[in-house]
This record gives sequence, C-alpha cells and structure tokens, in this order.
Amino acid sequence: MDDAVRAEAMVKHYRSRTGVVEAVRGVDLRVQAGEIFGFLGPNGAGKSTMIKMLTTLLSITSGTARVAGVDVARDPDGARRRMGVALQEAGLDPRQTGRETLVLQGRLFGLSAHEAAARAVELLELVELVEAADRRVKGYSGGMKRRLDLASALVHQPEVLFLDEPTTGLDPASRLTVWDEVRRINQLGTTVFLTTQYLEEADALCERLAIIDDGLIVREGTPDQLKAELRERLGLTSDPSLDDVFLDATGRTRSRAAGDVQEVTA
Amino acid sequence: MISAAWVLGQRALREAWRTPEALVPTLFIPLFFLVVNVGQAGKIFPAQSTGFLKGQGYGAFQLPASLLLAASFGTAALFLVEDIEGGYFDKLRSAPIARTSIVLGRLIAELAKGLLISVLIVLLGMVFGITIASGVLGFVLLVGMTALWSVVFVGFMQLIALKTRSAAATNSGGLIFFPLLFLTPNFVPRDMLTRPMEVAASFNPVTYVMEGLRSLILEDLEWSKILPAFAVVAVTGAVMLALNVRMIKRYD
Repeated sequence: MDDAVRAEAMVKHYRSRTGVVEAVRGVDLRVQAGEIFGFLGPNGAGKSTMIKMLTTLLSITSGTARVAGVDVARDPDGARRRMGVALQEAGLDPRQTGRETLVLQGRLFGLSAHEAAARAVELLELVELVEAADRRVKGYSGGMKRRLDLASALVHQPEVLFLDEPTTGLDPASRLTVWDEVRRINQLGTTVFLTTQYLEEADALCERLAIIDDGLIVREGTPDQLKAELRERLGLTSDPSLDDVFLDATGRTRSRAAGDVQEVTA
Repeated sequence: MISAAWVLGQRALREAWRTPEALVPTLFIPLFFLVVNVGQAGKIFPAQSTGFLKGQGYGAFQLPASLLLAASFGTAALFLVEDIEGGYFDKLRSAPIARTSIVLGRLIAELAKGLLISVLIVLLGMVFGITIASGVLGFVLLVGMTALWSVVFVGFMQLIALKTRSAAATNSGGLIFFPLLFLTPNFVPRDMLTRPMEVAASFNPVTYVMEGLRSLILEDLEWSKILPAFAVVAVTGAVMLALNVRMIKRYD
C-alpha cells in the first residue's frame, strides 16, 4: 500500500531582492495512511512552504512528492482529487453562505448540482453548521469559519486532508471543537497532515510528528518516542514535555523562545 | 474548463449583487460626468447649429465617454485581490479545475455586469432625449461593445492583481486608464482637436472604441467606424486574455 504522503529530497528556493532564499533544503517525509501526522516548526522554518508544495499550490524546486500515490508535480489535478486542503486563515468567501460555499466546492470537484447540494447537507451536519447554513460567512465566528473550511476540504471525500494551523487564532473552546472534528474525520478513514503552532495540540492529536527547522527535518517520531529520546540523551529524571523536545530540536532556549518563537510561550 | 468558469462566474455575480456599494458608483459616477459635461459645454454646441451632433443634443455626443467610464471601474479585479489576500484564491487553486477558469469566471461575470450597466445608462440617456440612430441592432452593438470593453479593462486590472497581489497597487493601476480616456476626441470630433492632440488621440486605441460607440448613437450603422472599434476590442481583449492565462498558469 502507498504511503498517504511521501516526500523525497524536497527543495524550495525563492528569488528575493536580497538573493536566493532556501526555504526548504531537502526534506524527506513519510506519512502512513490513516494516521494524524503533525508537522511542527518555528515561524519561517518552512512548514507552510512544505504544505503548499505538497498541495500543488507552490512549484517544487527539486525533489518529488506523492500524495495518495499520485505525483503532485506530474499529475496535479489527480493529486487534488485525492486531497483536501484547509490553509491558514480559513480561505472562505465572506459574501457566500455556508451552503453556497460547499455547493460551489462540490461543483468544482465535478459533482452535479444535485449531488453537490446533497453533499453540502451531509457536511453541514458533520460540522454542525446546519442552522447557520444559509447565513453569509462574514457573520460566522472564527470557530464556525474553521469548521466550514474543514467541511469544504472534505467535499470530495479526500484520502488525505492537509490542515495548516487549523486552530490558530481560535479561543480554547473553539479549538477543542476543531480537535473533535479532526479526530472524527480521521476516524472516518481520512489521513490528516497538520501543521500547528501549538505543541499541546500536536501532543493531543498526532500519532507521529516531524519538526522542521531552517528548512530541514530535525526530529521525527511519535510524541512518546521523541520525549523518551530526549530524556535518555540528557539523562533527565522525569519525562520532558513536547515543548522541551521542540526547544531542543530547534536549538532554542526558553528565554530566547519567549522572544522569537510564539508557539512555546502560550 | 467552461463548466468551472460558468460556476465561478455565477459566484462572481452573486458577489457583485451582494456588494451594491461597489456596483452603485459604476452607474452613478458616469451619469454624474455626463450631466456635468453637458452642463458645462452643452451651450457651446447647440443641436441645431452643430453639425457633428447630427441633430441630437450634446448629451448624445458625450454618452460614449460615460459608457467607457462605466466600463473602467474594474471592481472584479479588486474582488480577486480580496480572494488572494483572504486565502480563497488558494482554495480555488487547490480544486482540480483548469486555473484559467478562475480568471475566465470573473471575465464572464464582468461581461454580464457590463451588459446590465450599459443597458441602464443607455436607457437613462434615452429617457432624457438621446436616440440611438442606428436602431435596435445599433443598441445591441452599443451595449455589447461597452460590455466587451469592460471585460478588456478588467482583464488588464486582473493582470495587476495577479502580479502585485495588492489592492492598493491594483487600484492605482486602474488610474492608468484615465489619461487614455481623456486623450480622445472626448469633447469634440477628432478633426477639431489641436494637431498634437489629434496625433495623440490617433495613437490611442480608446479613440476608436469611442468613435465606434458614438457613431452607433449619432448615425445609422456606419461600419467604417464600428468595425475598427470592434477590432480594437478584439485585439486588446485577446492580448489581455492571453496574458491573464499566462499569469495564472505561472502563479506560484
């Protein structure tokens, strides 16, 4: 069976006014079908660049990536049919209603008008937005927008769901609701690849995770494996937290992190 | 591709309908300039003694300038920037559709909006005594040419939107058109302009669109003026379409 996501030697270079920026510098990743995989890193480490390359939204400088067995560069439309994407800042049209958003998304994925309407009803029920279905999105709360964004990424029943910081900016209650949605979606058989700024989120949701720093993968494994490795390596007497793993992996200290790594200050 | 473009065009029309504050100026400002220009220069060019008016009032001569102004708001491009800035553009790009259909959808919607607005402006002009001398076919050609020009203009604005991904830059880019609109036989026919202005107007493609529109209002079907106008619309439209397709295919 193919991995849900397989990336080999992925590189992304940007041209900028000051020269070439090496945002991703040779990343290998394997995500098994059916798991929730967390992708962590400090701001600017290359998380969003990686997710955009994997989801066909950004060209790949070199290396290969396959999602659900399909090469994203050679057959982008084939890959798009197998993946759902919900990026940072819930990408929604504020002037459409929740139902219109889902119906339109369904039509773009090849459903007939009737099929798209029926699928929208299913998804509105899944994310518990039935009552708000015919209200315009601009009136939704942050949590509702996130759930609608999730639903729109699921309209074509993708094999792999990419979530880029799905809970950034949400209040704690909305964050827990999104976690529940992610677990429910995963239990229905969808592989979830998520980036997050919140280490407790990764700890709570992810079966395996990778930490990227300065464009390179610096740790990969289950949260327990990563904690155990750090405990053993540093000779600690108690289990470290995922925060400690993150700080160790990215070469940051708590005092330095307070200044430049937002995700470990929460 | 056509199916996706059509679905996205419908969405763009809903967007326009639900944003009347963006649509109303498209109608109001051209009518405002029509009234002001006629008020300022109408007495200089009385209908009875001004040959180039072909028996109509000065409002009939000014109507094409208002139609071209109405076609030059390019709000669709600003909505495109909103999509880009808000992340919805990436949502559309992650669907298995030809990326070209994303820009085509907006152009289809702009054509429909352009038809509606130009019909309204011409009908309002007719209420105030302007007649379309070229008849029903001329009316259709008049609103069709205006609507197609609005598509050309939005195509230009979308290029700026896709390149800069900035609302401010897109808005400013649209102002490039205003010198072109006034570098035309806007107030008098081309042969009455000063020589330098006449030369400049002759190099300006907008001149030929304006003269085509004007001939449809003031004269019977005068193909020697109508065809060059459509040729300008067709050539600039093809160029804009090609550049839009190229730009969105290379969008990274």
